[in-house]
Amino acid sequence: MRPILVESCFPCHSGQAKTLQGGLRLDSRAGLLKGGFRGPAFTAAKPEGSRLLEAIGYVNKDLTMPPKGKLSEEKIAALTAWVTEGAAWPKTGAKPSAASASTFSIKQRAAHWSFQPIVRPVAPQVQPRGWAANAVDRFILAGLQKAGLKPAPQADRTTLIRRVTFDLIGLPPTPAEIDDFLADRQPGAYRRLVDRLLASPRYGERWARHWLDLVRYAETDGHEFDFEKQGAFEYRDYVIRALNADLPFDQFVREHVAGDLLKPRIDPTSGRNESLTATGFWYMGEGKHSPVDLKVDEGERVDNQIDVFGKAFLGLTLGCARCHDHKFDPISTRDYYALSGVLKSSRFQQANIVSPPGMAEAVRSLQSVRTRMLAVSTWQLAGIAAIAGIETFEEFDGTNFGDWMQTGSAFGAGPVADVLRLSGRGSEARIDALGASGAADSGALGEKLEGALRSRTFRVSKPFILYRMAIDGDTEVNLVLDGFQRIRDPLYGRLKIRANSNGKLAWFSQDVSKFIGHRGYIEFVDYGPGKIAVDTVAFSDKSVPQEPAAPRTASGAAESGVVEALLLERQAIENSILAPVYAMAMTDGTGEDDVVHIRGSYKTPGAAVGRRFLEVCSGANQQAPARGSGRQEIADRMLAPTNTLVRRVIVNRLWHHHFGRGLAATPDDLGFMGLPPSHPKLLDWLASEFLAQNWSIKQMHRMMVLSSTYQMSSTGDVVSERTDPTNRLVHRMPVRRLEAEAIRDTLLAVSGRLDLKMYGPSVLPYLTSFMEGRGRPGSSGPLDGTGRRSIYMGVRRNFLNPMFLAFDFPVPFNSMGRRNVSNVPAQALTMMNNPFVVEQAGVWAARLLSISETDQERITRMYRTALGRSPTPDEVSQAQDFVQSQETGDTVQPQLRAWQDLAHVFFNLKEFIFVR
Amino acid sequence: MFDTAQRAELLSLLGRRELFSRLGSGAGALALACLLHDEAGAQSGYVPYNLLPKKPRLPVKAKRVIYLFQNGGPSQVDLFDPKPELTRQDGQKPGEGFVNDVDAKKTGKWLGSPFKFARNGKCGMELSELLPELGKHADEIALVRSMVSEHENHEQACCHMHTGMPEAGRPTFGSWVTYGLGTVNQNLPAFVALLQPGGLPVDGARNWSSGWMPPVYQGMPVRASETTPILNLTPRIPAKAASSRLEFLQGMNRRHLASHSENLELEARIANFELAARMQVAATDALDVSKEPKTIHDLYGLNTAATSVYARQCIMARRLVERGVRFVQVMMVGQPWDTHTDNSNQLRTLCKSTDQPVAALLTDLKQRGLLDDTLVIWTGEFGRTPFAEGKDGRDHHKRGFSLWAAGGGINGGVSHGATDEFGYAAVHDVVTVADFHATMLNQLGLDFRRLTFHFESRDQRLTDVHEANIVRQILS
Repeated sequence: MRPILVESCFPCHSGQAKTLQGGLRLDSRAGLLKGGFRGPAFTAAKPEGSRLLEAIGYVNKDLTMPPKGKLSEEKIAALTAWVTEGAAWPKTGAKPSAASASTFSIKQRAAHWSFQPIVRPVAPQVQPRGWAANAVDRFILAGLQKAGLKPAPQADRTTLIRRVTFDLIGLPPTPAEIDDFLADRQPGAYRRLVDRLLASPRYGERWARHWLDLVRYAETDGHEFDFEKQGAFEYRDYVIRALNADLPFDQFVREHVAGDLLKPRIDPTSGRNESLTATGFWYMGEGKHSPVDLKVDEGERVDNQIDVFGKAFLGLTLGCARCHDHKFDPISTRDYYALSGVLKSSRFQQANIVSPPGMAEAVRSLQSVRTRMLAVSTWQLAGIAAIAGIETFEEFDGTNFGDWMQTGSAFGAGPVADVLRLSGRGSEARIDALGASGAADSGALGEKLEGALRSRTFRVSKPFILYRMAIDGDTEVNLVLDGFQRIRDPLYGRLKIRANSNGKLAWFSQDVSKFIGHRGYIEFVDYGPGKIAVDTVAFSDKSVPQEPAAPRTASGAAESGVVEALLLERQAIENSILAPVYAMAMTDGTGEDDVVHIRGSYKTPGAAVGRRFLEVCSGANQQAPARGSGRQEIADRMLAPTNTLVRRVIVNRLWHHHFGRGLAATPDDLGFMGLPPSHPKLLDWLASEFLAQNWSIKQMHRMMVLSSTYQMSSTGDVVSERTDPTNRLVHRMPVRRLEAEAIRDTLLAVSGRLDLKMYGPSVLPYLTSFMEGRGRPGSSGPLDGTGRRSIYMGVRRNFLNPMFLAFDFPVPFNSMGRRNVSNVPAQALTMMNNPFVVEQAGVWAARLLSISETDQERITRMYRTALGRSPTPDEVSQAQDFVQSQETGDTVQPQLRAWQDLAHVFFNLKEFIFVR
Repeated sequence: MFDTAQRAELLSLLGRRELFSRLGSGAGALALACLLHDEAGAQSGYVPYNLLPKKPRLPVKAKRVIYLFQNGGPSQVDLFDPKPELTRQDGQKPGEGFVNDVDAKKTGKWLGSPFKFARNGKCGMELSELLPELGKHADEIALVRSMVSEHENHEQACCHMHTGMPEAGRPTFGSWVTYGLGTVNQNLPAFVALLQPGGLPVDGARNWSSGWMPPVYQGMPVRASETTPILNLTPRIPAKAASSRLEFLQGMNRRHLASHSENLELEARIANFELAARMQVAATDALDVSKEPKTIHDLYGLNTAATSVYARQCIMARRLVERGVRFVQVMMVGQPWDTHTDNSNQLRTLCKSTDQPVAALLTDLKQRGLLDDTLVIWTGEFGRTPFAEGKDGRDHHKRGFSLWAAGGGINGGVSHGATDEFGYAAVHDVVTVADFHATMLNQLGLDFRRLTFHFESRDQRLTDVHEANIVRQILS
């Protein structure tokens, strides 16, 4: 037997295996008995049922050994005989080692710096006192002096206004702004400049883009068809508003994690439910339109959610703990699956995010119409024949929805006794009763309200689900299995029912035979115009009820004048209700714990683990949520004063954006494999100050940009350059290249084409002839994106802007807190030849020529607009020479073309896209 | 990566001052660009990356790759893997254990191939009558009939084939190769994705993305069209105006540099404009297939309607690798091999449009002495079911499919591995996607275990966590 085992099994399942697979060793009888992650390989009591035989027999398609091909018939026969006869083993076999025993210790690993409590450090006393503008400077100066270095001198004021303007609002200062700043000789001029920039709506547009990098923001699903994510841009607008309003960061985090469970925070201007919209970030990931294995897809989707959550908020690579305990950080697979349980207990909703003030009142008025309808109509229910052979899931007979979960307002306060429909005009006006015996009815209060009703999570156990319902208009029934929402043909069309039953109750059956064993829930959705009334939901072995329901009779009667009055009253109320506005959001589902997936596969389930936050942050004995997902508890624990990660991560990110490099240079990973902070005490001081300033992001900006450190020149002295060549100690400011978006925005600002319109649906991408392909939007957007800022340009996964990509726009698949800053020829080609850049040079030239001034004046204006400084006399004359001698080959508008070429040269100057 | 020793060597060879004086003189400028970028990178705390040629650790059998990707999943039993038993049982219900992984309910009846297979070359490799031209190269290609994938969906399977893992976001094969080897011609992109004028393949730019690697390693999309093969390659103004404009620009940039000489990143930028300008010339030349003689046009079928698109791609691919491009990935629009219906007629059309150009590419590389150290790979992301989908189609299939490779130290004439009697599952010498990647990297002198890129706190590989074996049987 041994040769077969040695050859076919030992490479992966013995002491000689490079990596032991499945925790299984077959080089001893004890190993055989002990087995691996899936249990014993050999069962002495019933040898013929041993897992080893199952595996080599290739009968279970999830367990086929050896994986690369079935053994020969002879070998299988030999092994089978050996196993069924008791798997005799010579005495000398090795003992199973503790190869799979874990050396993982949360306690030990929690000693890592980022998990330590934040004790507010005292800023060091430094000399000279004059240099330090605030505590930040005292830490930095102390660090420099310890290394025998001096800070670089202060940057000149033209450099400073350009630097801080780009940094805070992502646009160049205008010549007028520069003049104002240079003219303001009063103390506090720089502070006033910073305050003006922070108060500008442009600030939110600039910094929202930094945040969007962290949540892999995109407006389509990618993959084969690049389907649109409905209302994705609402999330982008939410972030802009939150930053402009300086929403305390703890609230911002809380809204992201559990905004649907909080008291809604309504934006007074737009009427948007901000807290609900924030949860859309969970769904910014890629979506597959027809994944073959729903459970694998669910695992990948949740993995991406956990990974983004971990990196963006906690600076931890939680995704590493999906298949094994984290190799370096104090994160176990149990932690991972605790969070997985939280997310699997949460559900997607296409949520109506407008919630205007008068809404509750309108619903009350509709309710009153309903009450009067009931009062004026009389009807009779006939007996209902029992239906044999079906298992009733829900009949909606009670006074409330029980364990069904409701969002929106369409389904009212609870089930109705019968489904009543108002219709007709004048003498034709009537009330019909459809003949239900208790129903959930989204039309009970009229046709306009939107809402959804979702069942508890259940296991599909029979091949058909039957619905007795009246379904009309923009409504649907979804069976959501394993959290899979994006229901698309070819494989999953049958999970969605959209139909029109002409205002009558009818039986519908849904074939779910393929999905027996999967877990999921039923969702009745009314998107507004339309109505759906559900009388019965049942599970069945057959596609139609064995005994059709006996016809039920119903009749309603009332004076038509009264009915018409009711109808008109209802219409008037409905007209006052705003149409719904949809965005992606989360909602709570049935709370269910997940189990550890051994090696990350659902096919090898391990022990169940309660829904909770990370053990290293909040201990092993966290109270389980009483119901629902437990996201609110997660948010509370993340933001508890004892949890240090959220604050350290965000202040480090802010530092990263202001100074070009985080105090810890790996902003998405403050774990063991990340780089340790260059100034740990400064980082902790900032994290502590952040709390003292009530989590105000704008206060942190002020603290950083008002420091003398930030105001240093980007030129260091020779000694400092030699001692601190990587500028780790911040002896000067770095020179930085503008990001893709800022480059485009600057082109528009300089040419005069910039349109400062805020918010709303994104501008379709301009599609080059290189962007043909499946999922291509029906039409191309304009070349200049109608002059809107780059944050309003659509982010379609399969059609990302080539200019942005050339300048390191991150592909939206995961958190990206630190963009690449590359310098490749494609950038030169883009700036030289991209039609948008060429066009903007023309727009600028035309605008310049429309102002009556001398060449010298015009050239000076160009320098001041594009580079934020005045030219030297030499520069003026060189530019003048160029314009005069440039042979553009254009005989119609030679002057315009020559100035366009000069404008284009400005766009290509290093000085244009580098900020000192 | 640009290692310290190399950098020191370059510096001592040239010296900084010397480098500056060479600005604009071809190789010196590029060396400078890379060198300076490197230093600038170090300054800002970023790890530096570049495309300078690197010496691999293992013996080099192949110096460049032409990767003919057949999106959609070509049908193995109709092209490469003759199955008489399948033909015999045509129309019968498959037995226990033969299911359609996409949807068990869609498991149709056995669908024998209507195409005849013949022995080719000295080796006697059996190939379908749909591939008469490829058949003439049987002694040069190694055919693997026992490939398996883990996914029966296009997106995951393509992603797996391109990046080693099914999830999006990782660097593609070409990115790994250019990261590991750099490139010898700095006037051309190192990694080219050669597309058809009709449009992108399914999943678009993801097929040549550098994922979390820096964008220097991403494929540059080039369209096999007569008019604009590269976006933004050429100035939109007359050449003379463009050149005087560039001259003026560089003058301004240099003066700026002179007053801010401490900023290395800025210096590297100057070189990039010159490189871009040189690329305009070099790439325009490389992609101009009209410079080929008529005999070459005819060999590939450039002037025949059916073959012209793929012929142009194959000629461009040859011209690019000839000029030192490291990795050329030839892609088709959409996913043409996805023959869910009317399988046999679709295959006829597809083979008619590709068989001659592919064979011509092998002939042409060989006659130029390039085949020996050029790896040519032909594969899809998976195969197709040996049973029918619907009346006359075949569904996606991961359990057994075929691919071939040639040149670059591949042992021609080998048929490796086997599927069962129906062509359903690979049963002998099974080759996984990871095995395939490891083997191809090996030919390029790259050890799949040691070619790593540090990301997300670990050293990542093309094969990621997969175990892999080099398929020695197909190597010479």
